[in-house]
Amino acid sequence: MQIKNLEERSKQYINPYFGGVLLGLVLLLTIFITGRGLGASGAVKSTVVATVEKIAPTYAEKQDYYGKFISDDKHPMNTWLVFETIGIFIGAFLSGIFAGRVKKFHVEHSPKITPKTRLIFATLGGVLFGIGSQFGRGCTSGAALSGTATMATAGFVAMIAIFGTGYLVAWFFRKLWI
Amino acid sequence: MGPLITQGYIDPEWSNLIALILGIGFGFVLEASGFSSSRKLAGVFYGYDFTVIRVFMTAIMVTLIGLVYFNYMVWIDLTKIFILPTFLTSVIVGGVIMGFGFVMGGYCPGTSFTGVAIGKLDALFFTAGLYIGIFVFSSAFPLIKDIYYGGELGPVTLTDTFGISKGLFTFLFVLMSIAAFIVTSIIKKKVKKAEL
Amino acid sequence: MNKKYILVIALAMILATGALFLPDKQFTKELSPDKLFFKINNPSRFISTDIIAKKIIDGDPALQLIDVRSSDQYKAYSLPGALNLPLKELMDSSGNISDEWIDYLEVDGMSTIFFSNGDICADQVWILCTRLGLKNMYVMKGGLNMWVETILKPQRPAESASSDEFALFDFRKGASQYFRGGSLVIESEVAAEPVLQVRKKKKTVVEGGC
Repeated sequence: MQIKNLEERSKQYINPYFGGVLLGLVLLLTIFITGRGLGASGAVKSTVVATVEKIAPTYAEKQDYYGKFISDDKHPMNTWLVFETIGIFIGAFLSGIFAGRVKKFHVEHSPKITPKTRLIFATLGGVLFGIGSQFGRGCTSGAALSGTATMATAGFVAMIAIFGTGYLVAWFFRKLWI
Repeated sequence: MGPLITQGYIDPEWSNLIALILGIGFGFVLEASGFSSSRKLAGVFYGYDFTVIRVFMTAIMVTLIGLVYFNYMVWIDLTKIFILPTFLTSVIVGGVIMGFGFVMGGYCPGTSFTGVAIGKLDALFFTAGLYIGIFVFSSAFPLIKDIYYGGELGPVTLTDTFGISKGLFTFLFVLMSIAAFIVTSIIKKKVKKAEL
Repeated sequence: MNKKYILVIALAMILATGALFLPDKQFTKELSPDKLFFKINNPSRFISTDIIAKKIIDGDPALQLIDVRSSDQYKAYSLPGALNLPLKELMDSSGNISDEWIDYLEVDGMSTIFFSNGDICADQVWILCTRLGLKNMYVMKGGLNMWVETILKPQRPAESASSDEFALFDFRKGASQYFRGGSLVIESEVAAEPVLQVRKKKKTVVEGGC
C-alpha cells in the first residue's frame, strides 16, 4: 500500500455508515449506563450559568432561567454534560492526531467567500444555535439524536424542524458553501 | 438491570468519569466521520456530501434496534430512561432557529467542539457564538417565557403521540433510513462534487 | 451497489423485522420466593403502636398511614391522617397490587405503615407489596386492637414494675389524652375524610438533555 501524503490522508474519513454504527453504539452504551442520551450545548449553558453566577450571584439566583440551574450543593459546572464535553474535545483531538488533521488555527471556507465572512457567519450561526438549543431543550445531539433514539416526540419534532428548516433556507445561503 | 446508574448498579459518584469516557468516544467518532469540517456538514443541504444523514440516521437506527433488543433481553428498563419533555411550540421555534444556525454556521454544538479540538478557527467562533446566544436567551428569558413553556405535552414518546409501538417505529425508521441512503447516493452522483 | 452494503442492509432489515415482533417487556422488581420468605420471617417490619403514636404526635412528615380495612370501618374510626385503601381495591383481578396504586404506596423518603384491626390483614398487604419489591413498607403491630389497648386505654402497671414501664405508661397516658382529647374532635376529623394526596413518584430520575 502506498503511503499517502499528509494532505491526502487528512481527507480520509471513516466510512459514514461505519461511523454511524459506532456513534449508535456509543449512544446505546450511554443510555444503558446513564439512562440518558448524549448532549453538547448543555455544557455551554453551564458555562454561561457559572459566569453569570460569578459576576452577579443575586441576579442569577433570582432570575427565572439561571435560577433553574443553580443549587446550593452543586457548582453549576459540576454536571454530567460538562465532563462529557471535555471528553468530546479529547476524543476529537485524538482522532485528529491519528488522521493528521490537527492544524493550528485555520479557517475552512468556500473559495467564494473570505475567511472574514466565514467567521462572521460562523458566529451568527453559533448565536442562533445557542438560542435555538435553549428553546429546543437540546441541540442536534441532545434533542434530535438522543431524543429520536429514545423515541421522545420532542426529539423527533426537533430533528424534522432543524433539517427541514435547513433545506428550506439553504438556497439563500448557498454562496457561503458552494 | 439497566440503566446502570439509575438502577444503582454503578455508584453515581462515577458518573463524571463515565461521562468523560463516553464523551471521548463521542468526540472520536464525530471527528473520524468528518463532522469537524463545516463544509462537509453543510454539504447535506446542497447535495454534495451526505455524511451527516448517513452517520446520523445509522446511529439512530442502531440505538433504536439496540434498545428494543436490550429491552427484550431485560437488560434495560425503558420506562427508567430520560425522555425529553415535549413543549411543542418551544421545540418547533427552537428547531427552526437551529435550522438557520446550521446553514449559516455550518456546525452544530457537538460538531463545533470537534472542530475546535483540531484547531478550526471558524469552529471556535461558532462556539463563542453559542455562548453569546445562550447568554442572550437566558437574559431575555422573562420575555420569552411563554414560548419556552408553550405547547406542553410532558415527557411523551412517539408511542404516546401516534400510538405506534417501539418495534413498529424502529422498523419504519430503518425502512426510511435505507430509502434515504439510496436516494441520497443517487442525488450525490448527479450533483457535481464540490472541492473540499 | 456494493455487495457489502447489500449485506448490511439485509442485516438491518432482519433486525428491524425482529424488532417488530419482540414484545415490550414489563419490568417488575418482583422478589424471588427465597428472598420473600426471608423477609417474611424478619419481624423488623412490625412497628409498635407507641412509636407510631409518637410519630403522629410529632407530626412526622415522612409517615404515611394506610388503613386497609373496609371504608365503613374506616369511617367509624381510624388513625388521624390515615388514608383508606381497602385490600379489595388495592388488588387487581389477578390478586396483585394493581399498578395504579404502586406510585401512591411507595413514595421516596416516606415510610408506609399498614394497619387493620389486627395485624393479619395489614400483613397480607405488606406481603403483596414486598413481593413487588416496594421498599419502606411496615405493619402496625397488633393493629387497631393493640392501639386501643395501649394508646387509648393504657393500663397502669403494677406498683412493682420498673421505672421504664412507668415512663412508657406516662407517655401512653399523654398520648391517650392527645388522641382522645375531646372525642368530638376525632369525629369531626373522621367526617372530613382525609383527601388522598397525590404524591406521584417521578417516573424518571435522570435529568435532562443539553
